[in-house]
Amino acid sequence: MVSLQQACRVRKERFGLLFYDCRGPRLLFAETGDLLEPGFFTGEVSVAETLERLTQAEQRKVAGLLSNLAKKGFIREQQIC
Amino acid sequence: MSNRFVDQGLRAPVNVTWEVTLACNLRCRHCLSSSGIAAPNELTTAEALDLVEQFSRAGVFQINFGGGEPFIRPDFPQILDACHQRGIMTCISTNGTLLDQTLVERLAKSRLVAIQVSMDGADRKSCDLLRGDGTYETALKAVALLAKSSIPTSINTVLTAANAADIPELHNLARTLGVSLRVSRFRPSGRGAENWEELRPTPRQLLDFSQWLTASGDVRTGDSFFSLTSQERQGLGLNLCGAAKLTCCVGPEGKFYPCAFLQQDDFLAGSIREQSLQQIWDESPMYESFRRLRIHSCEECQRFDQCHGGCPAVAWHLKGRIDGGDPECLENCVTMADA
Repeated sequence: MVSLQQACRVRKERFGLLFYDCRGPRLLFAETGDLLEPGFFTGEVSVAETLERLTQAEQRKVAGLLSNLAKKGFIREQQIC
Repeated sequence: MSNRFVDQGLRAPVNVTWEVTLACNLRCRHCLSSSGIAAPNELTTAEALDLVEQFSRAGVFQINFGGGEPFIRPDFPQILDACHQRGIMTCISTNGTLLDQTLVERLAKSRLVAIQVSMDGADRKSCDLLRGDGTYETALKAVALLAKSSIPTSINTVLTAANAADIPELHNLARTLGVSLRVSRFRPSGRGAENWEELRPTPRQLLDFSQWLTASGDVRTGDSFFSLTSQERQGLGLNLCGAAKLTCCVGPEGKFYPCAFLQQDDFLAGSIREQSLQQIWDESPMYESFRRLRIHSCEECQRFDQCHGGCPAVAWHLKGRIDGGDPECLENCVTMADA
């Protein structure tokens, strides 16, 4: 389960995903390209299905991103890979 | 803003300052937009709601409402509701005069609103001097009301020569009330330009404030200008000038500008009555010129990597050009204060 903090938002950009935390405000630029859609973090896209279509290297990249997002307080919890 | 992702160009602003009306029931001496009487052709409710929809489609994360006094617009709650229904976060800058229990309860329900109440002195005398008779008591009541709610609330103070000595006391007041303090930079726009020489902080006041800010970790400011070191700046969030790169401003009549301090025809990027938000953001030559802006005159300065030349709006108001470097730069203050 991946869930954005209530004060956080995400959107698609050319480089990947842009995260916003209005409590700072803070930005986090995630260079994910087309790997993930914003819906991955808002429940509109299935986490399991997304991960299934990724290579192992891509999954590791996503795991790293989630870990970073959790550490910086953008997402509530993670259980992945 | 030196960030390779921002330099590539974002698809939409991260946040937008929206001055929903020029009407205001106060006449603050440092007002950035000379608010008072409503602008002649302010956006209708339908136009405002359509703009909210465009912000939503573009992916704008947050709208910072100001004015004028936003709550003077009878349809302001409707505009807020439209934002919140689309998940857009909102922050409202208000003088607090029109806030009451019913309104606060209504606002609190959205859980997507934060409020800044303007208060420019730690006591009646200093606050009322800048904002008008009775404003201190009114703002205090509004802050106390908000503090009892779940709405994130801050006292917003513009640092001037008249209140620089009050800032630590304002900080104490905010703590006592259970809200935060946010200090903003005074800029010579609107009525602030008319009263600039009298109210501009002295170099010594700016330096003293900068040092106090460093020691007062819970005081917020959007102005990286106040920090002397790069380390301090890193703690400020969206630092450096984000005009036309991360943010922009829309005025009461739907005209878009790079920022709230440059709402002049010279800086008009487009009108929502003639173009879509996306067209203005993507195609405006004005915004493009801000994205290419480099302050070459500051490049030799040891602090250039931290400030990139400071605030183009202050440079324009004081020197007539946006690429002239910020004349109020703290590096200059160090020299002037030591002289």
